[in-house]
Amino acid sequence: MNEEQREENIERDLNEALISCEKCHFCNTVCPVVDTRVTQGPFGINRAIYYGLQWNEFNEELRDLVYSCTTCNKCVEMCKKVSRALPLVEIIEKAREFLLVEKMAGPMPEQVGVLKNMHVRGNPWGNPSHERTKWAEGLDIKFASPDNKVDVLYFVGCASSYDAQGQKIAKNLSKILKQAGINFGILENETCSGHEARRMGETGLFAYLSEANMEMFKQAEINHIVTGDPHSFYSFTKEYPDQDNDFTVQHYTQFLNELIDDGRLKLTTKLNKTVTYHDPCYLGRHSEMFEEPRKLIQSIPGVTLVEIEDNKKDSDCCGMGGGRMWMEPPKGLISSQAIAEKRVHQALDTGAEILLTACPFCNITLNDAVKSLEKEGTIKVMDITELIAMSL
Amino acid sequence: MSVSSEQLAKDLKNIVGEDHVHTGLFERINYADTSLPYDVAQGDLPDCVVQPANAQEVSEVLKYANEHKVPVTTYGSGTSLIFGTKPKHHGITLSTERLNSLEINEDHQWFECGAGIKTGQVIKELGKLGYFLPIQTQIGSSVGGAVSINTLGHLTDNIFGRPVNNVLALEVVLATGEILETGSKCLRRAAGWDLARIFIGSEGILGIITKIRMVLIPMPETVDAVGFFKTVEEIGHAIGMMYKNKYPLPMDGEFVGEKACKVGYEALGLDFPEGAMAITRSMGRTKEDAAKNAQEMVKLFKSAGATESFILDDPEIAEKVWGVRENAMRWGKEKGLKGYLATEVNPAVPRLAEAMTELTHITEGRNDLIGQTEAYLYGHVGSDSLHCLFAFPYSWSTEKMKQVVDEIWNLEKELQLKYDGVGGDWGWLPHRVPFFREKYGETSYELIKKMKQLFDPNNILNRGNVEGEV
Repeated sequence: MNEEQREENIERDLNEALISCEKCHFCNTVCPVVDTRVTQGPFGINRAIYYGLQWNEFNEELRDLVYSCTTCNKCVEMCKKVSRALPLVEIIEKAREFLLVEKMAGPMPEQVGVLKNMHVRGNPWGNPSHERTKWAEGLDIKFASPDNKVDVLYFVGCASSYDAQGQKIAKNLSKILKQAGINFGILENETCSGHEARRMGETGLFAYLSEANMEMFKQAEINHIVTGDPHSFYSFTKEYPDQDNDFTVQHYTQFLNELIDDGRLKLTTKLNKTVTYHDPCYLGRHSEMFEEPRKLIQSIPGVTLVEIEDNKKDSDCCGMGGGRMWMEPPKGLISSQAIAEKRVHQALDTGAEILLTACPFCNITLNDAVKSLEKEGTIKVMDITELIAMSL
Repeated sequence: MSVSSEQLAKDLKNIVGEDHVHTGLFERINYADTSLPYDVAQGDLPDCVVQPANAQEVSEVLKYANEHKVPVTTYGSGTSLIFGTKPKHHGITLSTERLNSLEINEDHQWFECGAGIKTGQVIKELGKLGYFLPIQTQIGSSVGGAVSINTLGHLTDNIFGRPVNNVLALEVVLATGEILETGSKCLRRAAGWDLARIFIGSEGILGIITKIRMVLIPMPETVDAVGFFKTVEEIGHAIGMMYKNKYPLPMDGEFVGEKACKVGYEALGLDFPEGAMAITRSMGRTKEDAAKNAQEMVKLFKSAGATESFILDDPEIAEKVWGVRENAMRWGKEKGLKGYLATEVNPAVPRLAEAMTELTHITEGRNDLIGQTEAYLYGHVGSDSLHCLFAFPYSWSTEKMKQVVDEIWNLEKELQLKYDGVGGDWGWLPHRVPFFREKYGETSYELIKKMKQLFDPNNILNRGNVEGEV
């Protein structure tokens, strides 16, 4: 397929998907990005894409709208429920690919360097790749290889490898796996899963990173992967090539429940905490894992779970998905901080002392929002692994 | 318009601030697009979109627009199904989306909200305190929009009443910029003159509603019931019996026609009895009261020939039943058809069954473009609004789509006149102007035009809507 045909194909796919929109506006009613303008939500973004294609207009205004989506998928659920079940997020991602690859109009300026970092250093922040496993120093964690075979590969992900808040997740999960007697390890040369590259429309980079990871899994003879990063989990299970490969991928909430059920992991310390739980978009709506984290939380002695206002399928986004972690929305579009603060307010309304989540992105974002609201004395943001580690 | 687009945007920025005047192409497209099945034309965009934050700013914008004779189209949420928000003469689109305040005052027993707040948000916030919004339009629609057309959405008219019965007061900005305070702060509405009532249902041609005060209504307990019928005609007869035999009226009654049920059952993988379906939401002060009233609906449906009828007490089945109704818009997707929700017919009760039957077979034996569409019937039967969704191929040209839309609107008018309907959900302006003129005559129509002239001498507000331009 030549470039021209490829461009025509993307245009055709987008047109076919967009033409059946009934323009009912229901999608906008659930979008975390909508503030006070119809244009800000999935309705406005998708209409902009449609008219951009019809009128051959691909300017910065369109780019800013297309890249403002968090890809949380809440609109898709709404459209499925009351309208034409349009794949609104897929359309937006395809439009990003179209703008980036065909029109040289994407991504957002701040994301250019991020994609370069993913390519060159294997992580979006551009941290040295040799520092990726620094968090594990002194913890006696194996590097998986044919000579050092592991039963479980812990895929750490970029945020838990480099970010101080995320590293807590990596350390706690490792501690838990050790306590349960699991023969696990990490990859010495783990690289970015590419999930966020795909969200930003850089499908070529995603393909490159996914192939690199698949090759490493193969070489280390991995047949069971556990990750704490719902974004990587989603890509491994839904987007990586060779889906019928012979290894199992689990989010830790699945795996730890199994360990508790078969008695390998015992939680003995009573914590006496009231907690609420924020469903990460890529674990909840995208991967339909709603009960596993709740079951895990409820297995911790002394912990009471109170549900936050919008939960499970209706959960609100933390604001940082879809590549927004690395961009500040242009003037006039809602900031990620405002989205996260709204979520923290919902958590505060529950009266819980801990806001739990199961995603390093959400963890970082919600923590920042608690700080910006000066509510550190009222509520703490934790990954579920932190609470589990406390109850060992 | 005595000012250039550039100057207009510059001057408006001085009033509402730079961040609240939008001139970008995609912003202007989004505020001009409607639920019409064809695209908005490049020449049909507003010059700019302005978003005032309060009545004072609205007033300044209108004073400016009036002085320079710039048309101002008011935009609440863009969910109008008769295209009131489509700008017909460029100019300013004034979005009320920033007028989104909400104050619930339990001591006074009213709530006050900005015109641009969405009904879904008000429903949610009132619900937290045990109150009910007697406007059940789609959750993305604005309260101001609903009040401006005096619609209550799906609800039965004579249970809670329409906005005109529940609005205590309005804040309104006139085309000439004066800000009016109307209505009352007490629960007693004024006997005699109450200017709020002039603006409720005036479809934005006399002034711009900026704030609404409405009475608080305690949340009723509800119980749903369903009835499966061989034909939709039987549902029409059942509703006739409901009124005549003084059954306790449900606060919401819905129905789905045979063809639509079939597609809905298939889409959701349901094994429900073939035919049409009626769903009612009975209310009561207590759950027991509501259940008793719902049981009456089951009794009614069974006596009217339902093959099956029961209370929807199993949440899973209830979700599926309502899913069939909610999935109305999905029809035709698999067949590459574009759906267009285009008609509303409100037959007088004695002719409900007849109208339902006629609409069920509306495409049959026709030689026009309607005859080439697929029609799916559904709607409300608490107070009746029969909706037909016409589906036709995406591949039709814009000209062909425009032609079928014209045919459908003309058909709606003929049916409304035949069955004594009024367009109870969506209002009149602009596309139902021909229907209004035929139903009420030229004297009534001229009277509306004179009122418009009195309130808006330069015809800046929603220009083209009274004239019937689409």
